Amino acid sequence: MKKLRALSFPYVMWMSLTIVLPMALILLVAFSDLNIFRLGSFTFTLEGFSVLRSPVITTAIRNSFRFAFIVTALCFLIGYPVAYLLARSTSRHKTLFVTFLILPVWSNMLLRIVAWERLFFPNSILNMFGISLNLIGTDLAIIIGMISMYLPFMIFPIYSVLDKMDQALIEAAIDLGASRVKTFFKVTLPLSFGGVVSGVIMTMLPAMTAFALPARLSGGRTLLIGNIIEDYFMRTANFNAGSIVSLVMMVLMIVLYLWILRFDKEGETLI
Amino acid sequence: MKKLIDIQNLVKQFDDQVVLNNINLYINENEFITLLGPSGCGKTTLLRLIGGFETLDEGKILFEDKNIADIPAHKRPINTVFQKYALFPHLNVYQNIAFGLKMKKMPKETIEQEVLKALEMVKLKGYESRNIKTLSGGQQQRVAIARALVNKPKVLLLDEPLAALDLKLRQDMQYELKEMQRALGITFIFVTHDQEEALTMSDTVVVMNEGHILQIGTPIDIYNEPKNRFVASFIGESNILPATMIKDYKVNILNTEYTCVDHGFGEQTPVEVVIRPEDIELKPAQGGIEGLVTDVIFKGVHYEIIVMVGTIEFIIHSTLSQTVGTQVSITFEPEAIHVMRR
Ligand SMILES: Nc1ncnc2c1ncn2[C@@H]1O[C@H](COP(=O)(O)OP(=O)(O)OP(=O)(O)O)[C@@H](O)[C@H]1O
Ligand SMILES: [Mg+2]
Repeated sequence: MKKLRALSFPYVMWMSLTIVLPMALILLVAFSDLNIFRLGSFTFTLEGFSVLRSPVITTAIRNSFRFAFIVTALCFLIGYPVAYLLARSTSRHKTLFVTFLILPVWSNMLLRIVAWERLFFPNSILNMFGISLNLIGTDLAIIIGMISMYLPFMIFPIYSVLDKMDQALIEAAIDLGASRVKTFFKVTLPLSFGGVVSGVIMTMLPAMTAFALPARLSGGRTLLIGNIIEDYFMRTANFNAGSIVSLVMMVLMIVLYLWILRFDKEGETLI
Repeated sequence: MKKLIDIQNLVKQFDDQVVLNNINLYINENEFITLLGPSGCGKTTLLRLIGGFETLDEGKILFEDKNIADIPAHKRPINTVFQKYALFPHLNVYQNIAFGLKMKKMPKETIEQEVLKALEMVKLKGYESRNIKTLSGGQQQRVAIARALVNKPKVLLLDEPLAALDLKLRQDMQYELKEMQRALGITFIFVTHDQEEALTMSDTVVVMNEGHILQIGTPIDIYNEPKNRFVASFIGESNILPATMIKDYKVNILNTEYTCVDHGFGEQTPVEVVIRPEDIELKPAQGGIEGLVTDVIFKGVHYEIIVMVGTIEFIIHSTLSQTVGTQVSITFEPEAIHVMRR
C-alpha cells in the first residue's frame, strides 16, 4: 500500500500545480484587491463583487444559460433517437457508423468553428450552389455551431447504455403486455437515464463556458460569459473581476451538476 | 382434454442453419409439458416462437385454433419466466409484479389485491418495497414467477427457471411450481436440460435433439421405452459433469483424460458429460478420478453409492457394496461417456 502511495506522488503534484494552485489564486484574487502587476500589499475586500450588477455581465450569464439549455435540449432530442437507432441496429457496419460520429471530435475544435464561420458568411463556398446562409451574428449560428460540437458527447453515453441494455428486459415488458411505445417509456428510457444524465452534463457544461465559438459565430455581437472572462483576463487585465465571474460560474455549474445528478438513480424518478 | 396449442410442420432457420426442423406438437389445456434436450437443440427457440419473440419460416402455430401469427406478442395470453429472470432493475418487487396489470389498466385496488395474493403464493409477503438487486437468486426467481402468474395467462412459458438455483432450493421449487400449476390450472411449457427435473414434474415430456423432436410421451413411457439410443442415454438417473472436449475422441473430465466415442465438438470445447450410475465401476484407489465414499444405500436390487470427488457428487449403482469412508477410484468404459454441448 505504502509503495503504491509513493507512485501517486507525481499525480498529486501535477494536480496541485494545475488545479489546486490556480483555484487558490482565483479565490485570493476574487476576494481581495490584489493587483498582479503591483504585487505587495493588498487587502481582502468584497468590493469587486459589484461587477455582478453590471448589465453586461448579467446578460452574458443569462445568454450562457439560455444557449446551454437550448443546445442541450436540442442535442438530447437529436441525440437520443440517433443513439437508439445505432444501439438497436444489427448492421455489420455499426462500428463504422460509430466511428463516423467520433471522427469530428478528433479534429481541432477551433478549425471546425472557423469552418462554420466561413459557411455562415454571406459570401461562402455555398454561393456555388446559389446559397448564401448569412447567419453570422444570429443565435441560430451559435446554436448550430454548438450542436455540431457537442452532439457526439450526448450520443455516446446514451448509446453505450442502450447498447449494453439487456434485451431480455425489453422482451419481458412486451411479454407482460406493453406495446412498443409503452415499453420504450416504461423500460428503455428509464433504464437509459444514467446515459442521458452523463450526456446532459457533458453537453451543458462546455456549452456554458464556450467562448471561441460565440466570439466567431456571433461576429462579436452576442456575449457569453466565457467571452467576458476571456476579456477580463486577456484584454483588460482586470484579474479581480475575471476571477469573481469565474468563481460565480463555477458555483452555479456545481449546483446545476448536483441537481442533475439527483435524477440519476436509474430513472426511478421517471416512473 | 382440449387442444390449446397446435404446432404444425414448424421450421425455423437462423441464417442458413436449420434450428427447428419439422416440429409437430400439440399442447393440451392444463398440461405440464416439458421440452427436454441438450443445449443448443432449439428449446429456447421453440419457446420464443410460442411467446412471439421470433417468427417462424415454415408451418404454423395455432392457438385455440387461431393462427398465432395474427396476435402480436404483447397481446398473447401467454407469459414467460425468463432464463435469467429479466426483472426490471429500476422497479421494486411490487412494481415488477404489478407491471403486467398496469399495462392492462386495471384499477389500482385490484392491482394491489392481486399483487399481494401473488406475493403470498410465492412466499414473499412483506418484500413489496424491496429493491430487486437486494434479493437472492431464489427470491428473484419467485418474483419472476409471481410477475408472470399474476396476469393469469392461459399458458406460462418457463425457460430453465431453476438452472441457477442450488440443488435443495431447486427441488423445493420443482415441487412448488408443480403445486401452483395444479392449483391454478394453467398450462406450463417448461424447458430444461435436466432429465430428472423433466421426469418428476411433467405430464408430458418432449425429448429434442438438434432441432428435431425425438420422442413425446409421459415420463414413464420415455423412461421405460426410449425410442432410440439418444433418448436412452439422455433419460435416467445420471451423473452430469462439466468437462472439456480436448479433441475428437478425447475428453478431459475432472482433470483426467479419457478416450470416448464422441466427436465433432471441436477442440478445447467446454462440454458436459453424462455417465449413467450403472456404468461406473468402483475400484480401490489407483489414481484417475478419486473420491470418498460418503453414503451407501441398499436399494433392493443394487446399492446406490455416493462418492464425493471434491464438491462433485457421483451416484453409482452397483451390486457390490462399499464401506463409507474409503477412498476409491471411479472408472468407466469409453462407451459410458455421453458428451453434451454445454
Ligand atoms: N438469434 C439467433 N441467431 C442465430 N442463431 C441462433 C439464435 N438463437 C439461437 N440460435 C441457434 O439456434 C440453436 C438453438 O438455440 P436455442 O437457444 O433454441 O437452444 P436451447 O435448446 O435453448 O439451448 P440451451 O439449453 O443452451 O439454452 C443454436 O444452435 C443457437 O446457436
Ligand atoms: Mg435455452
